[in-house]
Amino acid sequence: MENSTQESHLRSDNLVTYDSPYPLYAMSFSSGACRSSGAGQMIAVGSFIEEYNNHVDILTFDDETLTLTPNPNLSFAHPYPPTKLMFQPSSLSSSSSSSSLLASSADFLRLYTLQNDAVVEPVSVLNNSKSSEFCAPLTSFDWNDVVPHRIGTCSIDTTCTIWDIEKGMVETQLIAHDKEVYDIAWGEAGVFASVSADGSVRIFDLRDKEHSTIVYESPEPDTPLLRLAWNKRDLRYMATILMDSNKVVILDIRSPTMPVAELERHQASVNAVAWAPQSGRHICSAGDDAQALIWELPSVAGANGIDPMSVYSAGSEINQLQWSAAQPDWIAIAFSSKLQLLRWLLHYGGKG
Amino acid sequence: MATRVDQKMEGENLREQLSLAVRSIQWSYAIFWSPSSSQPGALEWGEGYYNGDIKTRKTTLVMEMNNDQMGCQRSDQLRELYESLLAGADTTANHHVRGPSVALSPEDLTNAEWYYLVCMSFIFNIGEGLPGRSLANGQPIWLSNAHCADTTLFCRSLLAKTVVCFPFLSGVIELGATDLVEEDLGLIRHVKTTFLQNNSYPILSQKPDYSFAQFRTEVLHADLPPLMQDEDMGLVSPTASSNGFDLIQLPNNAIFFVEGGLNEEAASQAQSWHLNDDELSNCVHNSMTSSDCISQTFVNPERNAPSSPKNEAANFPSLLEEELLQDPLSEDLHYQRILSSIFDKTPQMDMGMSFHCSLGTGSSFVRWTKGGIRVSEFKAGTAQKMLKAILVEVPRLHDQPKEDGVGKEVCKQQEGNEPSSNHVLAERRRREKVNERFSVLKSLIPSVSKADKISILDDTISYLKELESRVQQLESCQELAEYNRKNKRKPQDMEERTSDNYGNDTNVGSKNKRRARDNDEDGQEYNQVSTKDSSRDNTIAISTVDKDVFIDIRCPWKETLFLDIIDTLSNLHLDTHSVQSSTTDGILSLAVKSKVRGRSSLSFGMITQALQRVLKNG
Repeated sequence: MENSTQESHLRSDNLVTYDSPYPLYAMSFSSGACRSSGAGQMIAVGSFIEEYNNHVDILTFDDETLTLTPNPNLSFAHPYPPTKLMFQPSSLSSSSSSSSLLASSADFLRLYTLQNDAVVEPVSVLNNSKSSEFCAPLTSFDWNDVVPHRIGTCSIDTTCTIWDIEKGMVETQLIAHDKEVYDIAWGEAGVFASVSADGSVRIFDLRDKEHSTIVYESPEPDTPLLRLAWNKRDLRYMATILMDSNKVVILDIRSPTMPVAELERHQASVNAVAWAPQSGRHICSAGDDAQALIWELPSVAGANGIDPMSVYSAGSEINQLQWSAAQPDWIAIAFSSKLQLLRWLLHYGGKG
Repeated sequence: MATRVDQKMEGENLREQLSLAVRSIQWSYAIFWSPSSSQPGALEWGEGYYNGDIKTRKTTLVMEMNNDQMGCQRSDQLRELYESLLAGADTTANHHVRGPSVALSPEDLTNAEWYYLVCMSFIFNIGEGLPGRSLANGQPIWLSNAHCADTTLFCRSLLAKTVVCFPFLSGVIELGATDLVEEDLGLIRHVKTTFLQNNSYPILSQKPDYSFAQFRTEVLHADLPPLMQDEDMGLVSPTASSNGFDLIQLPNNAIFFVEGGLNEEAASQAQSWHLNDDELSNCVHNSMTSSDCISQTFVNPERNAPSSPKNEAANFPSLLEEELLQDPLSEDLHYQRILSSIFDKTPQMDMGMSFHCSLGTGSSFVRWTKGGIRVSEFKAGTAQKMLKAILVEVPRLHDQPKEDGVGKEVCKQQEGNEPSSNHVLAERRRREKVNERFSVLKSLIPSVSKADKISILDDTISYLKELESRVQQLESCQELAEYNRKNKRKPQDMEERTSDNYGNDTNVGSKNKRRARDNDEDGQEYNQVSTKDSSRDNTIAISTVDKDVFIDIRCPWKETLFLDIIDTLSNLHLDTHSVQSSTTDGILSLAVKSKVRGRSSLSFGMITQALQRVLKNG
């Protein structure tokens, strides 16, 4: 659990590695409130095994000792690889300090309660199919941090479903795209955006479900857009990635269709993207080139494109990337069967 | 009274002049560059007045032009901010501490204010930069920055669309506007008038180390003769003064000095004089960026110095190109250096340049450098392999059954689950296939009342019955044709059969064989008539289904017979759809498919008689 060999030149207190028995994909930091319990921040990781039996492990990260400790008591089996894991947003967790909620998406949206050092209890399995026989698989979901009982899921059946998880009921289901919907992100209480295999980014307002706004379409028609990240610090901006592309496309929702920037310094396709929780101008991206790049977005782009400010090289293709909202100095990446926590400090220095 | 007047003008009085001047023309800012007290012969920030947009919180407000107090306060605040930032940059220890008196933070500034603020850090040598050259030449310089400016440059190109410098007292007044303002000497005159009207200072003042321009309200050019101590400038002066009394010429002079500043060589200047007005203004438009850049790059005299000899080439186009090539870079550097020295460690920058983050001991990341970390070998294989698997492959795994009880299935045992799931899976696939086949079936049936399976089957049954009856009809037609063909092949037999009709040409219809069959499904009537006229070897077979009439004719071939038959059918209100004909051994075989036109009704007799007539007559 200490540094892996290829990172030996880095000081060990900048980096924590966890080796899982399985390949990892889904990952989530717990929200800040969990730290107050003294147990440190929790990280959930989901295995990626292409069959029914999969696993979710809960690790505890202690940033004092820089250790990642698995909690076997909290591990549980998961049907199919989770396409996404997410702890409840911090605003909700304050109500029940001793437990927290974890959601996962795969065939269904599932909710689990994590008691302190206690067994995980599945709360509910949310299936929007009336026949309860078959539910279109979910590619992703997002937890609304303004209205914490609201979760939006997206599916390969072209729809997005908005759940009221307290009532366990569907608030609404929208046919969002012409093809599979690959990711969804909340902007505010009733506004979300989604990306799809049809190559478009669309914004929906629950107050007017009839209409959606296309804020971006991939340049070559039908190049699928795979992931979407909405800048929570500055809601004007969102980032998306394309299939088989080394680009991170930054969109300004005020100027639809024309991206404000395209970040093109990855040397292979991009797999994940995350905005900094502490700054509206920083974004991290990771890709097949095994690099995690941190970018600072200038308000005016230079002629030669934008260079990233920092880089971290991992051992292999980085598949997942999460930026801890509770401890913004820490970024988690997943590559092969490793989870790595990287420290990144946002300091300005003129001397460079 | 004459010397060092400018010193006394500091403070509110000069500010007042500037504010009046800039507000009267509604430009963005006014700066007075005064001779530097620390560096003799250089110009530094003397006083300024900011009159542009102000950003309050997150909204940008256009300032009310007549609110002098607000403008002065803003200008003061900007100066305070600059000083506090400068102090912050000097003391590297307390980066984040700003003086409590500072009302503004860097985040509050608009781009125009940034520009204004950055201007405070400039120092111009005489002859360098716009103010320096204006002072050296004693001429106003009007830079209306054309659209040729590279937009990737900083606020300089965004903002200083129009910059005017003219000597004033011992220093230089610089006025700037964010809009493009056409060159207008009257405006400068107006500004000067404003100054003169509002100040009691003498127009003339002397500086020991260099000459400078003196202004009068009406006669701008009067100050030209006592120019420069520079010998090259001295060469120019007579020329300038010879033009001096012509006010109309003055704009060109002013323009010229932009070029003159670039060249600093009398020869080239003299050459330039011969350019006509159009060329001059073209040159100026091309040179906007470069001369503006020079005003910013002067801080590197070492860099500028070697380029001066090149300037002597007096080749305007190439010179300008050169400047344009070099200067964006140097401006970039300069601007960035100034800003980074000022705003060292300022947490939030709202400007267009990237600040490199210091990656101290605490970071796992290293500074990104171009090509620094080359990932030489990528593993061959699919790009975004896991991501695609999650989005595309994994959903396919889900074709497995779900248990009925919601919430019970989380910790299923694989062993127990496997067989049943296989069974249910097979069952599900079978159902899917059944449904698929039903939808195919549905698409084949023309009249489907409902979409449910029973309806589809009912409709299929009736449709099949209908088809069956049609097949029977067609087969009977076929039989008849066969029969006729047999008859043809066995003439004796035919003679025998047709002997009944012999000599009874006119009444064949009554003796027709007639078969009729009712279709119980849709009530279509099916009739068939065949007529043989053995004496003439004529055979006519007619059958009808609803309005469709099928006619088979066999008769000796005659000229125009074919056309006559078709005409006859047409006269009978039959629309002919298709005709198959063949002639073998002088016998014409004709198979006609036609339809009764409109609502007219036809009896077999009518058709047969008409056809027989044709066959006989033809």
